[in-house]
Amino acid sequence: MLSRSAERLYWLARYMERTENIARLVSVHMNLLLDLPRGVEMGWQQLIRINASQKDFYERNKVINERNVTRFLLTDLSYSGSLFSSLSAARENIRTSRDLLPDEAWEQVNEMYLFAKNNLEAIASRRSRVLFVNEILKGCQRFAGLLSGYMSHNHPYRFIRLGKNLERADMTSRILDLASLLLADSRSDEMRQYETILWMNILKALNALLMYRLHVRSRINGDDVLNFLLLDINLPRSVGCCVTDIADCINKLPNHDALPEKLVELKAYVQAIDTRRTTQLQLRGILDDLQNKLGELHVQIAANWFLRAEAE
Amino acid sequence: MRSIWENYKTEGAYDELMYSEFQPRHVSHGLCQYLNSLKKNDIDQRKIAAELAIIEMGISFTVYSDEGNIDRAWPFDIIPRIIDAREWKVIEKGLKQRLAALNCFISDVYGEQTFIKEGKIPSETINSSKNFRKECVGMKPRHNAWANICGTDLVRDVDGIMYVLEDNLRVPSGVSYMLENRVITKRVFPELLQGINILPIDDYPTQLHDMLSSLASDQNRNPQIVVLTPGIYNSAYFEHAYLAQQMGAQLVEGSDLVVNDDDCVYMRTIEGLEQVDVIYRRIDDDFLDPEVFRKDSALGVPGLMRAWKAGNVALANAPGAGVADDKVVYAYVPEMIRYYLNQEPIIPNVPTYLCSNAEHLLYVLEHIGELVIKPANESGGYGMLVGPHATAKQIEAFRKIIQADPRNYIAQPTLAISTSPTLCKGKLEPRHIDLRPFILQGADTFVTAGGLTRVALKRGSLVVNSSQGGGSKDTWIINMEGS
Repeated sequence: MLSRSAERLYWLARYMERTENIARLVSVHMNLLLDLPRGVEMGWQQLIRINASQKDFYERNKVINERNVTRFLLTDLSYSGSLFSSLSAARENIRTSRDLLPDEAWEQVNEMYLFAKNNLEAIASRRSRVLFVNEILKGCQRFAGLLSGYMSHNHPYRFIRLGKNLERADMTSRILDLASLLLADSRSDEMRQYETILWMNILKALNALLMYRLHVRSRINGDDVLNFLLLDINLPRSVGCCVTDIADCINKLPNHDALPEKLVELKAYVQAIDTRRTTQLQLRGILDDLQNKLGELHVQIAANWFLRAEAE
Repeated sequence: MRSIWENYKTEGAYDELMYSEFQPRHVSHGLCQYLNSLKKNDIDQRKIAAELAIIEMGISFTVYSDEGNIDRAWPFDIIPRIIDAREWKVIEKGLKQRLAALNCFISDVYGEQTFIKEGKIPSETINSSKNFRKECVGMKPRHNAWANICGTDLVRDVDGIMYVLEDNLRVPSGVSYMLENRVITKRVFPELLQGINILPIDDYPTQLHDMLSSLASDQNRNPQIVVLTPGIYNSAYFEHAYLAQQMGAQLVEGSDLVVNDDDCVYMRTIEGLEQVDVIYRRIDDDFLDPEVFRKDSALGVPGLMRAWKAGNVALANAPGAGVADDKVVYAYVPEMIRYYLNQEPIIPNVPTYLCSNAEHLLYVLEHIGELVIKPANESGGYGMLVGPHATAKQIEAFRKIIQADPRNYIAQPTLAISTSPTLCKGKLEPRHIDLRPFILQGADTFVTAGGLTRVALKRGSLVVNSSQGGGSKDTWIINMEGS
């Protein structure tokens, strides 16, 4: 497998995962806001915070409101982290990787891209925004389904899994970052009243509500949710599960000698997180650290498989 | 007949489907009957369905401009063009004959040069050809096949005879559109295809793969085959990717390949360097190897010619094969067939006047208003003059151009190339078409069943190139026996 192809598939997967994550975040957030009374400190700024894109946002907008945030996150092509930017980048990557993927994979991404492109204006109204986001989510699911259904579990597939899981772990940790804000001691009484709804929505943002219920079988509480999303080894979107999958892929790829040690460290780090004994501040530190470690892992993957050795 | 055929006039050219406004040819009977059973609204629906399919399948060719890349959807006409299998059998034989002779000629040019020595072609014609590569002299590619993939353009004149218009031996494109056109037709007219005995075309990628495999120097192991593309910014990138995928070959760019000190070609993979045996290159000679050809080429692979000459890698088409893809050399192909194969040409050439020949030049300058003037080495329909459609000013300008560089111009009579019914704004109108079949030559020779029919979508226009407002049609070779 060409190094260049490996790199493109890896990024294809990251961009597709990002597309799905943004769509789900916006979708869940809109639902959540409908449930909450006015005045609860849970506005649109949280979405900008999750993506650590305050700077980018304020360069383009004066006011944080629904219209500006959704446009920024969904359709702003000048912001590289927007849904449409991610989808466009995914399309460019798959366009150059068609020789490695089932035919329908390209058609699926291309279709989604054309759909988004033709409906960029539609997101101004809530109703058509819901439809827009749902259509994107369905497209992402079809894409994931046809890769898992039709693609050999070969090296190209492993690079896709690598990209997907790295992006996923990163996003889950960001969503938990937001959750940790909810644990702040200074939170208002009103906020405390709605806590269950908030945790439920955190789970929904990762499509994990049902799986949580099956697993925990008691009423939703913050510690359990945090534990579940960080450490559960069976939930595809938990950080622990993503890291395990990354390790599995790396160990099956050729020339991986430099990496397993790092992976063992990362796994140990994740497993050692004890949500019951951390303060909100500590938790934020841990999650920050985790995101940095994922960033380092990306650099190592790129150095190991993607960089063209200049002096051969 | 009903509304879509209203006012269908065959207008002084041979029409591929119709004898006259009211009478379909024998081969197109089934199609015409079917079209008549559709309401106008149905036809429009099918056209829309085809357009949607093209966009969804991402069949495009790319036009890159300063404002960014424009991916144009492939312009496709849903009404197929039909050829009787009995006629096709003869054409197929003629195409194989032609490529065989061309390959003998190329081998000869880079070898003994008997064709030149015996005065069959002036040596200046070869020496002045910019596609003659002195680096290739003495090379002997496997099976003596230099041009492994050839796209030969055929046109039918008003007399009903098919002529060869040109042979594309460098990096001919269009075969992926031929394949996709059939896929779309199957989607749009599934009930129609069922009842008609159309020869299948979808084995082309397999045939291409087998042909490329037969070029590998080591026939004892599975060869590593790659398609070398100039990259995503090339207008035919879609085709490069498509063919690589259909063959299960690697799609590579120049920077993915490296030639080591052992003069072998390797590609950079996640497992390290892996040797490459056969390269289906879609890059012109000029850009292939900056060590030998253009020094500024960033698309090619330094050392590639070294590896090829050492016999460590096969290149298809072989470097230098373009020497026979020259409209002056074209004029000598019938003679090549007689000389090398001792046969009479099955498909005739269009009569050609060579401006390098003083007598011919005189004739051309006198009759320029009736002729088509073409540069010897351009492709894509650029730089040509269609006399009857040109203004006095354009004709004068061309006179000067020809006289300044007679070697590089040829002239041919303006053919009334055949038409085929084409859907224009909900009605059928005749539009001029040509045909590009693809011929493969390695250990064996193979011809596609039909080819890519290109259609000039503008009324009266004779230029079918996609870069100049042309579109395409599915091409059906129909076996009428037993029906």
